[in-house]
Amino acid sequence: MITLEHYLMVSGMLFAIGFAGVMVRRNIIIILMALELMLNAANLSLVAFSRFHVNASGTPNYNAQIFVFFIITVAAAEVAVGLAIVVALFRLRQTTNVEDITALKF
Amino acid sequence: MSVRPGPQPLNLFVSYLDLLKLASPEAIIVLIALAVLTIGLTGDRSRTFPGIVAVVGIVIAIWTTMRLPQHANLFGGMLVISPLNSLFKIVCLALALATVPLAVSEKSMRNPGEYLAMLLLGTVGLLLLVGSEELLMIFIGLEVLGLSLYVMAAFDKTDARSAEAGLKYFLFGSTASAFTLFGISLVYGISGTTALNVIGLKLAMGSIPPLFAVGIVMTLIGFAFKIAAAPFHLWAPDVYQGAPIPSAAFIASGSKVAAFVVLGKIVLVGFAPAHGNAAWHSMLPGWSPILAALAALSILLGNFVALAQTNVRRLLAYSAVAHAGYTLLGLVAGGREGFSATLFYTTIYALTLIGAFAVVGIVKRETGGDDFQNFAGLASRSPFSAACMSVFMLSLAGLPPLAGFFGKFYLFSAAFRAGGNHGLLWLVVVALFGSFVSLYYYLNVLKAIFVDKNASETRHSSPGTHRFVANATIAVLAASVVLLGVLPDALAEAIAKSVP
Amino acid sequence: MIAWTIYLTFAGAVIVLLLPRAFARWIALLAATAGFVVTLVTFFRPDVDLGHFTTVVRVPWIPALGMNYHLALDGISLTLILVTGLAAISAILFSWDVSERAKEFFFWLLLVVGGSYGVFLSADLFLLFLFYELVIVPKYFLIAIFGSTNKEYGAMKLTLYSFFGGALVFLGVIAAYVAGGSFDINQLSQFQFPSQLQWWAFPVLFLGFAVLAGIWPLHTWAPTGHVAAPTAGSMLLAGIVMKLGAYAALRVAMNLFPEGFRMWRTTFAVLAVIGIVYAAAVALRQRDLKFVIGYSSVSHMGFVLLGLTTANVFGVSGAVLQMFSHGVIGALLFAVAGTMIYRRTHTRDLDALAAMNLRRALPFAAFTFVVASAASMGIPGFSGFAAEITILIGVWKAYPAAVWVVGAGMVLVAAFTLRALKRSFFDDGLGSAALSAAAPGLSAGKISESSRDGRAALAPITVPEKVGAALLMFATVAVGFYPKILLDRIQPAVEAMRFLR
Repeated sequence: MITLEHYLMVSGMLFAIGFAGVMVRRNIIIILMALELMLNAANLSLVAFSRFHVNASGTPNYNAQIFVFFIITVAAAEVAVGLAIVVALFRLRQTTNVEDITALKF
Repeated sequence: MSVRPGPQPLNLFVSYLDLLKLASPEAIIVLIALAVLTIGLTGDRSRTFPGIVAVVGIVIAIWTTMRLPQHANLFGGMLVISPLNSLFKIVCLALALATVPLAVSEKSMRNPGEYLAMLLLGTVGLLLLVGSEELLMIFIGLEVLGLSLYVMAAFDKTDARSAEAGLKYFLFGSTASAFTLFGISLVYGISGTTALNVIGLKLAMGSIPPLFAVGIVMTLIGFAFKIAAAPFHLWAPDVYQGAPIPSAAFIASGSKVAAFVVLGKIVLVGFAPAHGNAAWHSMLPGWSPILAALAALSILLGNFVALAQTNVRRLLAYSAVAHAGYTLLGLVAGGREGFSATLFYTTIYALTLIGAFAVVGIVKRETGGDDFQNFAGLASRSPFSAACMSVFMLSLAGLPPLAGFFGKFYLFSAAFRAGGNHGLLWLVVVALFGSFVSLYYYLNVLKAIFVDKNASETRHSSPGTHRFVANATIAVLAASVVLLGVLPDALAEAIAKSVP
Repeated sequence: MIAWTIYLTFAGAVIVLLLPRAFARWIALLAATAGFVVTLVTFFRPDVDLGHFTTVVRVPWIPALGMNYHLALDGISLTLILVTGLAAISAILFSWDVSERAKEFFFWLLLVVGGSYGVFLSADLFLLFLFYELVIVPKYFLIAIFGSTNKEYGAMKLTLYSFFGGALVFLGVIAAYVAGGSFDINQLSQFQFPSQLQWWAFPVLFLGFAVLAGIWPLHTWAPTGHVAAPTAGSMLLAGIVMKLGAYAALRVAMNLFPEGFRMWRTTFAVLAVIGIVYAAAVALRQRDLKFVIGYSSVSHMGFVLLGLTTANVFGVSGAVLQMFSHGVIGALLFAVAGTMIYRRTHTRDLDALAAMNLRRALPFAAFTFVVASAASMGIPGFSGFAAEITILIGVWKAYPAAVWVVGAGMVLVAAFTLRALKRSFFDDGLGSAALSAAAPGLSAGKISESSRDGRAALAPITVPEKVGAALLMFATVAVGFYPKILLDRIQPAVEAMRFLR
């Protein structure tokens, strides 16, 4: 029997992997992918919650599933903006490595 | 049938026209954004015309906001109209209005139409954020705002620093919003709803499960990022320094005000039962000790790092971190008084900071930089900007009789009163110590302006009209900072009345 | 009517900025004189009740918080307003030759003066704090732009100390407001604050204010600040600004928290005594004339604080009288050192001055300095004596042991004052052989040569300087001979304070 906890566990792991990716990776494209992972972790947990939150009438609570559609849209927009910024930066600096982006310093 | 635990069912009987009427400020701003975009694409590269259109549109939006009904609640809190929300929609629109002239007078701006369109879309994000009491809508508002701001930060495509600022803002911002989203998903999972007031009611009924606590913390992280509270402030110095000046001003003002309004609603309405206690001797787990720790850390770190800065924009960034800390005091204190103090302070702060950035913009156009040395001798070059800058700096430092002082007064007295037996005294002392430290670097800016000799060559003065637009903006902002210092009641009363 | 001191001064400040530079000093002088005349008229009017803190103006300002624009007057504030006017007029007269950025100079100067009037007249805690902070920033610019030795450091140090005090005061003000529910000083002084609050709020407030009065461990801003400041700046600092702290400590901290005062007064008395002796001892070792006077200020202000902590009528009245007296004397001393000597010889080094034979070159300056030193040492016939003897009577009643220590301190004061006097004016160029070792970088022969040749080149004392000095000398002598004129006005006001009852 796969319970809510299992889904949450997977979702938490996805989130952690995504966050680790953002922290550790140096290539901006990979970081963008890791970000997507984090958002999708949230999606997974929302859908799981929705499935297990059964109303009195027996239907799942659909709010969260609608929420997920919005998140997917938002994630797409975010990637578009992110890539645009990466392209702008690449034109100026010819790099996609965050370690090379050090014009601004403490 | 028993009472459904979920939010109220969607009210499908609201006619679309009614909805449009209630959401008219947002709708108008979207239309104006598209109009400005079209003008920017078709017309010449004149900066004045799209600016005028944007200003007119924002004024109309303010006017319609004033004419909204007193109370309305659509779709379980997705669009709430209340005196508080309307007031802060007006504040956000006013901040956008003050940013437009900055953008128009910015000479390096190559696509003013597109830029203003992004600014207006960001404003829509602000309005959505301020006007909703439901987590899904709040998240969408955050993202609409965030995406516009990322673009605005990276807008100057000729400047590597701008692109870098945009990238950093984007990376930190989207990580933080992922945290918020995950937090929201947990909150939703435990409470079964995304409407703030229902969450609050649910929580009040039983004990708080640990998963929910995780959700609270993650949600708070996202907002701590938006308001640039330490240790989630790392983006702020780079963005404030690297982004085009109007973008930095808007990020520092509008996005912060809206974030504080929403954060206040989330913690004081949604998470109210998980308040905890931040008093020195009776700490209880909950969000208020977390916010208190964030506040103390931000105040200390922001102020001390700001001491070492030689660039005025970076200095403003670190001081912004400290100010986020002060502002959090009101939320930690909680209650009506605390929340109104926070709202008052963040509004004042936003006005002041736009003004300060406007002066930085003028200095940068004239001397080609925004380090301390570029400010040297400003008093003799341009006594007017110097006087206004000193008003802004002294208000930030919290000297009477300027608005910033009253902001601090409201905040500190609210915190002092809160928590039985002056339990938050420790936080007040930290904040007072922080504002004492901050005086040093604000005075240093003034020292550069008034005392230091004019070292850098002035390159050129900007053309007449744009200079006039910038000066007028600064004058209005400085006047309002002084006026709100002499008569703080004008705003404080309005806020206090509107806070439920 | 007395409220016009504030309005006239601020109006003067604004007009100075608006009109051409040639008018600046005249307008400043006019504004300061007008304020002083208003004060004098009030001073000699028999129908003014000086025994109580009587309301002069009261206009609601921020009703939601209970803040009023509320000015009030009693004998204590009137005395201090009087000395503010005196110091302001003479400071302007002694800056008659300021030419660079003159408009700004007189603007900042008048802001300091106007803010001080405001502090002395405020009957609303909030208003008092507002004026108190309003004095600090102009003071910074006055010193940092127009000062001399190490000016930016001195100005910043002074300002940060003031703001540190201001932060403490702010905390105390919030505590008083939240607990007492009002900003009205008269109302709050009737309010019974809980002891626990008084226990911590009193020292916070008192120390916050006393920073500006130069209380011992936090006094170090005073000498450096005085030295860095332009002449008018040090005159205002010594004459007015240090009084702000002592006055507010009396009016607010002691008046509002009498219980806390009783718990802490011995501690602060000890600090005051240490301050008197320590500053006098340090002054004895200084070579810069302004440092000597700066430390003497700290020492004299120690008397004020000691008088306050006695908690009896004599001590406190004497403290107020000493505030007046030191305001006048301190301003006079700095005027001599800053304008009469330094502006002409470009040195304040006592050894260098010793070689210059200034007594012959600047007889009027010598005379003024003799008078000021005599008054500063507490020789009978000058205001310093009247004030210090009153304080000592009070101290004798409260802390008999302290009188002996303070007596030793007074000997030290006499010693360093005489030393400074002798070195600067009455050395007749003797011992210039020893000088070359003492003053590195300045060959003794050169100095005496230049002073011999340049004696004629030392510009004579100008008329404005003479008028300013005469004004201050007259004040110290008049009060010295007839202290009753002030004490009669101070004592009833002191007796009305709660901590005495």
